[in-house]
Amino acid sequence: MYCVKVAEVNKMCRDVVEIVFDRDLRGYPGQFVMLNVFGYEEIPLSLSSPKSLTVKGVGKTTKALLNSKKGDVFGVRGPFGRPFSLPSVDEKVYLVAGGIGIAPLNYLYQTLKDEFEVIAIHGIRCKDEIMYDYPEIATDDGSAGFKGNAVELFLRIADFEEKMRVYSCGPKPMLLNLYKAMKKRNLLDCLEISLENYMKCGIGICGSCVTECGKRVCKDGPVFKGIDIIF
Amino acid sequence: MLEVVISDLKLENPVILASGILGSKWSSLAKVAEFSGAIVAKSVGLNSREGYKNPVVLNQECSIVNAVGLASPGAKEFSKELEKLFKVTNKPLIVSLFAQSSEEFSSLPNYFPFASAFELNLSCPHAEKLGMAIGVDEKAVKDCIKAVKEVTDKPVFAKLTPNVTDITKIGIAAEKGGADAVVAVNTFKAISIDVVSRKPVLSNVKGGLSGKAIKPLALRCVWDLYEVLDIPIIGCGGISNWKDVVEFILAGAIAVQVGSAFYESYRAVEGIVKGLNDYLSYTGEKIEELVGLAHGGV
Ligand SMILES: Cc1cc2nc3c(=O)[nH]c(=O)nc-3n(C[C@H](O)[C@H](O)[C@H](O)COP(=O)(O)OP(=O)(O)OC[C@H]3O[C@@H](n4cnc5c(N)ncnc54)[C@H](O)[C@@H]3O)c2cc1C
Ligand SMILES: Cc1cc2nc3c(=O)[nH]c(=O)nc-3n(C[C@H](O)[C@H](O)[C@H](O)COP(=O)(O)O)c2cc1C
Ligand code: FES
Repeated sequence: MYCVKVAEVNKMCRDVVEIVFDRDLRGYPGQFVMLNVFGYEEIPLSLSSPKSLTVKGVGKTTKALLNSKKGDVFGVRGPFGRPFSLPSVDEKVYLVAGGIGIAPLNYLYQTLKDEFEVIAIHGIRCKDEIMYDYPEIATDDGSAGFKGNAVELFLRIADFEEKMRVYSCGPKPMLLNLYKAMKKRNLLDCLEISLENYMKCGIGICGSCVTECGKRVCKDGPVFKGIDIIF
Repeated sequence: MLEVVISDLKLENPVILASGILGSKWSSLAKVAEFSGAIVAKSVGLNSREGYKNPVVLNQECSIVNAVGLASPGAKEFSKELEKLFKVTNKPLIVSLFAQSSEEFSSLPNYFPFASAFELNLSCPHAEKLGMAIGVDEKAVKDCIKAVKEVTDKPVFAKLTPNVTDITKIGIAAEKGGADAVVAVNTFKAISIDVVSRKPVLSNVKGGLSGKAIKPLALRCVWDLYEVLDIPIIGCGGISNWKDVVEFILAGAIAVQVGSAFYESYRAVEGIVKGLNDYLSYTGEKIEELVGLAHGGV
């Protein structure tokens, strides 16, 4: 474990903050760190850029993080896990994010946007949850962008005639829908999904993050190829 | 060449998965079973236990400190999970048990009619009243093993703690209680402090040390036990390659368990078994011929 200092905290929407550190965490898009919030718990969080994490307050530790400020110090283990793979030059890139699943995909977007044609889609409940200005927005209540979920919007926009690569992170039901849609079109090998199973060790020994097919999300993932997972 | 027999248990190779490593779900156990001689499931008690809050594991150079806290769904639930294993593997499954008393220990084997053997966790260093709390007391060790032997015909192993003045006394107590083998050893009591927050890193403050750093210490335990015991010894602690295994066997172990090395790779055991096979093909010997050889003439 080593310590990092907060350089800046940006409020992204009501219960989401981006915490920027004073140094690069030296990870790749899709990798995560185990962040030790002293006095609270140690939790897994994806890198949302080389030096930031983007956190949604859902429980004790993540809510404490919403109040973090410049100068705060956190313990870090990692980055850990298998990152997203890079697309081939002739592939059109789609990012399909649900809610806070945008965090790892933002890092990927920033990495790819200058060299690839990237279409980012962000599914949220309502317009108050908009975090970044670049993605196409889908809202459940229709208060911004497309009315519907991220997968519906993706299926509407996507050009399945062209070579494509689809990266996704978000709630399980959303991932499952996307997985089914890609499977139906025989395109599972173009899909990469980042999973968020409950974690303890983060290094592949405790077994708490293991999937039904025996893969460790922390070590063999969190990013999995569509063809490698069985939902 | 690689086959070994421990009590009634025939293993196709001597490398066993250690308890608590990838051992809570049938799916990961099945994956590790592919190359292992046998697998030990995560220690289970009568009732469910939450375990400690994160952080529970700290990886550092050459070692890991952990205080997972014997998190377990309890015997009934866990039995359902382990049952699923038998559709996919025929490797021996050793069920690791923890309890507060000999009575509680003897209530556990019935939940696991499919187990090939039982391992009593007399050695977890970081759970109040459990594991090591019993494993430091010769009489308690003997009584617990006796109690379990009375309710099962399967082999019963005693997993020992190194956190005692003289591990041979505990080993002898286990043998007197009727243990079919001892497993040496569980983790060494340890602590880790963060210099920035100036606080212990693990939520439970104290934990147990495993990984490469403890290999020479664990090896010494096996050595000492071999000098006094007649029952087989299963070595455990810091093993990460085939040479480590040969060292443990020369010190007196008939088989070994591997845990922390899975940090490096899921296929840790595969590499070890292959190396061992190559080594024995080269020397033309069987494992059994090597057990305790280093003691001769010392
Ligand atoms: C690889 C990975 C990457 C993640 N990336 C992000 C991210 O970039 N941004 C973000 O906001 N969240 C991310 N999460 C989810 C985040 O770890 C949980 O929201 C956080 O652990 C909840 O902690 P808490 O104390 O606030 O909530 P709690 O009160 O403990 O629980 C709230 C919810 O979070 C789940 N949870 C609790 N502990 C864990 C844990 N150790 N691992 C996984 N889930 C847990 C619980 O099941 C529960 O549903 C990621 C999770 C994983 C596994
Ligand atoms: C995360 C973790 C959890 C463990 N859980 C258990 C357990 O439930 N029961 C047990 O008998 N030993 C447990 N152990 C101890 C190991 O089985 C083993 O004895 C120890 O780690 C030394 O071997 P190693 O250096 O190969 O890891 C655990 C070890 C670790 C690292
Ligand atoms: S979190 Fe421990 S194995 Fe993945």
